[in-house]
Amino acid sequence: MSGLDHVDNYPEIPVSLAATSTVLKTGAWRSVRPVIRIRTAPCSAYCPAGISIPEYFDHLKEEKLDEAHSVFMERNPFPRITGRVCPHLCEQGCNLAVATDEKPLSIRSIERWLGDQTADLPHPYPTEETGKQVAVVGAGPAGMAAAYYLRRSGHKVTVFDRRESAGGILRYGIPEYRLPTAVVENEIEKLEDMGVEFRMRLALGTDLKLEDLEAAYAAVFVATGATGQRSTGIEGESLLEPGLAFLEAANRNLASLPGERCAVIGGGNTAMDVARMLQRMGAKVTVLYRRTLAEMPAIEEEYERALEDGVDFNWLTQPRKVTKLGDKLLVTVEQMRLGTPDESGRRRPEPTGITRELRFDGVFSATGEKADTAPFPDRLRDSHGWLDLDGDGATKDPLVYAGGDLATGPATVIEAVVAGRNAARAIDAELGYADRWPAEPPADTVSPAEVNVTYMPHHDRAEDPPAVTADPFAEETNTLTAADVLGEIDRCLSCGYCNTCGTCFVFCPDGAILWDNGPRIDHEFCKGCGICVNECPGHAMVLVNEREVSHA
Amino acid sequence: MPERLLLTGNHAAAYGAMLARSEVISAYPITPQTMIVELLSELTASGRLDAKFITVESEHSAMAACVGASAAGARAYTATSGQGLALMHEMLHWAVGARLPIVLTNVSRAMAPGWSIWSDQSDILSQRDVGWMMLFAESVQEAQDFIIWMYRVAEQVFLPGMVGMDAFILSHTAEPLIVHDQEAVDEYLPGFQPLYDLDPEQPRAYGGLVNRDHYFELRYKVYENMERAGQLLIDAGEEFGEVLGHKYTPLEGFMLDDADYVLVSAGAMTSNVRQAVRDLREKGIKAGLLRVIAFRPFPVKQIRQKLGGRKKVAVLDRNMSAGHSGIFAEEIRSALLGRPDAPPVYGYVVGIGGRDVRVETAHEVMNDLLVRDEPEMSLFVGVKGLPIGPLRSDYEIRPLEPLEVMR
Repeated sequence: MSGLDHVDNYPEIPVSLAATSTVLKTGAWRSVRPVIRIRTAPCSAYCPAGISIPEYFDHLKEEKLDEAHSVFMERNPFPRITGRVCPHLCEQGCNLAVATDEKPLSIRSIERWLGDQTADLPHPYPTEETGKQVAVVGAGPAGMAAAYYLRRSGHKVTVFDRRESAGGILRYGIPEYRLPTAVVENEIEKLEDMGVEFRMRLALGTDLKLEDLEAAYAAVFVATGATGQRSTGIEGESLLEPGLAFLEAANRNLASLPGERCAVIGGGNTAMDVARMLQRMGAKVTVLYRRTLAEMPAIEEEYERALEDGVDFNWLTQPRKVTKLGDKLLVTVEQMRLGTPDESGRRRPEPTGITRELRFDGVFSATGEKADTAPFPDRLRDSHGWLDLDGDGATKDPLVYAGGDLATGPATVIEAVVAGRNAARAIDAELGYADRWPAEPPADTVSPAEVNVTYMPHHDRAEDPPAVTADPFAEETNTLTAADVLGEIDRCLSCGYCNTCGTCFVFCPDGAILWDNGPRIDHEFCKGCGICVNECPGHAMVLVNEREVSHA
Repeated sequence: MPERLLLTGNHAAAYGAMLARSEVISAYPITPQTMIVELLSELTASGRLDAKFITVESEHSAMAACVGASAAGARAYTATSGQGLALMHEMLHWAVGARLPIVLTNVSRAMAPGWSIWSDQSDILSQRDVGWMMLFAESVQEAQDFIIWMYRVAEQVFLPGMVGMDAFILSHTAEPLIVHDQEAVDEYLPGFQPLYDLDPEQPRAYGGLVNRDHYFELRYKVYENMERAGQLLIDAGEEFGEVLGHKYTPLEGFMLDDADYVLVSAGAMTSNVRQAVRDLREKGIKAGLLRVIAFRPFPVKQIRQKLGGRKKVAVLDRNMSAGHSGIFAEEIRSALLGRPDAPPVYGYVVGIGGRDVRVETAHEVMNDLLVRDEPEMSLFVGVKGLPIGPLRSDYEIRPLEPLEVMR
């Protein structure tokens, strides 16, 4: 509370600012007042998309699926997809994990259930056409998200892609057992149903020229991803099979095993996907990673599932040379040790000079992909050759926007979705419609110290159950049941969002909280004791100095 | 022109309230204070004192009425005694927290039961920690003047103050009294300017709810202002001399400068102690007197200065805190604690329940002090059948009664 941080700013006695009548009801005692305030839950703050998670949970609790869905769609149009593949940073932020010894809420699994429940719900056709046409190049998650938000805003949207089908990394990169193609196709169909046009087999730089698109469209959003193979610096690199290309072949059912014993070089999510896919195809896979588990960038869950699949991990192992030895590949690896932290904060691997030789039938590289920025003129690139973009993906050319892995290098699906939405919003504003986007969540985030966990139910966290199937390529988990979802939402403290739990109503010692489908504070009688604020499980109430809200 | 009258302490207090131009008086009669209330009701009824006299059904309500009046900007006065002061206790706190400079006269009497109306400091000292300033009058003149002196300081620091005077010894004993010239008192004591104006057009609540975040600071300011009052009492006592002819101080010494043996006293019994000191000096004993006038704020620094380096100090308490000692003795010990020149402090409990404290009593105390080696917490003077001394050493402390064994 401002102004009262030093004793010199205190009055001699507490004086209420004003009462409503000379008959002083107890409300006139008040020097601070409770205010029901929407604050940001840490899950929302951690979510790159800033989804209002407690809000849509509240709608689900009230069995208002459509409302929950529309809250979600404000910030992410693909709950079925991210509900399956998102690294769920939201759960890292969950106050439950800090304020209790319980596991965080299973937010991603609820998201997946929401997506599956609304799979047949068509996207709303725009109510008003703007007559503007926007080109989107790249039909991956960033392009699809941009197409959704642009179309929803009433623009005509054409999505171009070099492949024969839309979906990008969702269809050709992420393995079927994690994200079934049917889920991706369902999303593409829904985009088509709302009027998005997909034009396939057209590659930027060869079939399409950026300047032609600029001439023909009101704006262009480029999100062609990062699929180029980065040099590994390993001698005999040409003997390595690029991991992402292997995943694409596998997703097209065109991949074959080079032999029983395979190695995957790298420690990111692509490396996990390649290793697990090979293992599921029948290989015995060893991951060679130059640092240790603690530094490995792959999502922990994917590492654990790789272990479950039987994948082996060789830590502190840096391949130096690959040579052909008959029909085998001989990999010379150097033992590494951890040194001082690098610019990413992870400890840098340092050579020890100790080498050994490993023998495999096939070796796959998954040490990172790079974006192809060749189709962009030099004026849109910085001195390092990267695209020169602002936070919304705007280039120096007011008609051209870019985002997704193309701009950031390999990142997560949700980050691509956010990039697509940000670009759509920026394009919409550029085309003259700045005011129709919702405000960003408030900076005021509910901290674990503020929440009250006294009244929450205690039961096990609901997680996606493993699928019972003999098919190693079928989706490996099932979606929760509605009962599990509702039970899980009961554990949610609803940080910063009043879900009308009634705790304040029960605990107000003065009966100064009235109930009109939710709490309403009776300021004639509220003494400002603050008990409601302390009891509110999600601290969706704050005490404010009466001076700030009442007339002087 | 000042008038010279022969009046009791109670009537002097009523004159003090009148000279201070008290605007609201609310009091409940109680022996031995009743005459104050009677005279003030007559003075207001006759129009000689332009004040509102509010009759109430209890002392709690009397103080509540003073709180309301003071908050509304009126100079408020009340008087009480013994059980009445105890009943006011809750409202005494309120006056402090609401920062209302009310002045109260307490005619100190012993607490019941056994039922007693006689002089004893236990009632007023039981209110030691509420945050009121406290002055102890020795004479009828002071019973009047201290009210005026107290208002002068109270209205600067926005804290209330009480003036203690001894039951009967002052309240019912007539002495010559100088009733000051009203214009001179008006010059000394300008009109009361309250902290806040109460305006019915803009209703507000005063002294409302304060959460844990803010209460401490409000109380800290009470402490700060009480501390400030220590110097203001000195300054306002000086001014009293300049404007009204007699200077008052929080402490008063008598034959103190070269004294080896100091008797400390407060209230009306001090007059007899003073006489004893005179007698002792004639006998060649270097005795001295330190009279405590201001008990709250307690003049710690001055006490250290006046008592440091003496051979022995005897504190006369007309009160006792069961389980500890006489309260003045305790306060003085605590003020001297840790000082390199701290004298040994002997606590003497005298005159409980109005038993006379005569000149001879002070002599008995001094005789005991001169021969006693170890200072004691409490030395009881005049308990029938016992010599002056601490709790009797042959008193058998009975062991805990055995529990009845349940079968």
